[in-house]
Amino acid sequence: MRDYLNDRPIKLRRATTVAITSRRPFLIAIGVCLLAILLIWLDHAYLLGPVRGTLQSVLSPIAQPLTNMRDGVIEFIPGWNENQRLRDEVTALQEEISQLEAELLEYKQDRIENRYLRQQLDIEHTHPWKVLGAEVAIRTPDAGRRVIVIARGSSDGVEAGMAVIGQTGNGPAGMVGIVEAVGPGTADVLLINDFGSQISARVLNDLYPALGLVKGQWQQGAQLRLEALDRDTILNLGDPVISAGLTERLAPELATARIPANIPIGRVAAISYNEYATTAEVQPYVDLDRTHYVWVILNQDG
Amino acid sequence: MGDTQPRRLEERLVYELLLMIGLMILALGQVTLLPAPLGFPPALVLVVVVNRTLIGVSSSQPDHNTITSLRWAIYGGLALDVCSATPIGSHVLALTLAAMIIAAATRRLRIEGLFIPLSAVLVGILIYECTLALVYHITVTPLDWPAYAQVAILPSVSMALILSLPTFSLMRWLDLRMKK
Repeated sequence: MRDYLNDRPIKLRRATTVAITSRRPFLIAIGVCLLAILLIWLDHAYLLGPVRGTLQSVLSPIAQPLTNMRDGVIEFIPGWNENQRLRDEVTALQEEISQLEAELLEYKQDRIENRYLRQQLDIEHTHPWKVLGAEVAIRTPDAGRRVIVIARGSSDGVEAGMAVIGQTGNGPAGMVGIVEAVGPGTADVLLINDFGSQISARVLNDLYPALGLVKGQWQQGAQLRLEALDRDTILNLGDPVISAGLTERLAPELATARIPANIPIGRVAAISYNEYATTAEVQPYVDLDRTHYVWVILNQDG
Repeated sequence: MGDTQPRRLEERLVYELLLMIGLMILALGQVTLLPAPLGFPPALVLVVVVNRTLIGVSSSQPDHNTITSLRWAIYGGLALDVCSATPIGSHVLALTLAAMIIAAATRRLRIEGLFIPLSAVLVGILIYECTLALVYHITVTPLDWPAYAQVAILPSVSMALILSLPTFSLMRWLDLRMKK
């Protein structure tokens, strides 16, 4: 602009921004952070379990239909993904493979039963479990832990450490996770592909039924890894991996002692040998991201 | 004249209650309704809290509005902690840290255009995911950070950035409408 009266330019002031003037917001934020750390510590010490359980029981009836709605919409929308048709085909083939795998698993289990009496005794009790069906109320909330919330809790007989199984297509009913915390009407299930999940496992192999430890690997970019195997173990691609139930025998006081043996976990997808150990990548039988309904194994008494 | 103070208190209580319910609905929406193409949904609550912080910082009462943003962070964080199976307090910590650092970093900036909102969400989601991962690392199991960054943090950042611009535009438009 120009001041024509005095024939000189007028400088317009830039609008000033109002900055935060006091330290109060930051002091409050620091206080909130300290409070949050205290809450985390209290929760870690299992002191907030009842509060969480009660709140989740209130939320679960609301969350469950919403989760189902999302799943329904995603399955309904055509072209959700460019490769939807291919995905459908893959899904169909996977279901077929799963069915074949189920048959193969049964066959291999039968063969092992004949060779090893101890294992025979275990496998004779295959699926004598008393199970409780549960809908998945809440899936993993963000990129952190692989945890789901199911709509069954302590009032239904669910306890921490119980194994949770699911089924994808016509495949075998496979391990989904372990109950980590229980509220009156809900339970938190740590998925087997979470980095914090470890399950004793047995590989059904014609030569030698190797024992190992299946660890979750999602946070590492994979699904499951079979570790702690004997160095001389010989594995084959596609070998079924089932739970060994060792905690039940070796440390019955632990919560995870409730995990029964012979729950199908997955199949060996890749093997690596080195001079110290043998490890294998395991592909779970159950698609953990698409599980809508699961069963909690309450006991083995049938 | 004499009932001015009690009415203000009632109004504030009602406002806080509505805010809590709103953020609970938002958190429920995040964990139940939002699609999870990569195995987890986008961090909608974080994006909303960061954008609220930006709008608050650029308002005529930045102190007051920054504190309001912190309240959004607390309620949103508690709602996420209750909705999910994460340690109670972890999302509160992550959201509060993100909001505080965004407020500190942008307090002298003019929030114009789209660069600052995008950058703020980028910084915010990194703080949020790293805080959650650190809580997980300490309370549950040690993480392999490079792998975790590749599998969890980077996809989460991408999804948050996609959400950031429409959310910022919508919130700014709502803010202007409410001021009118």
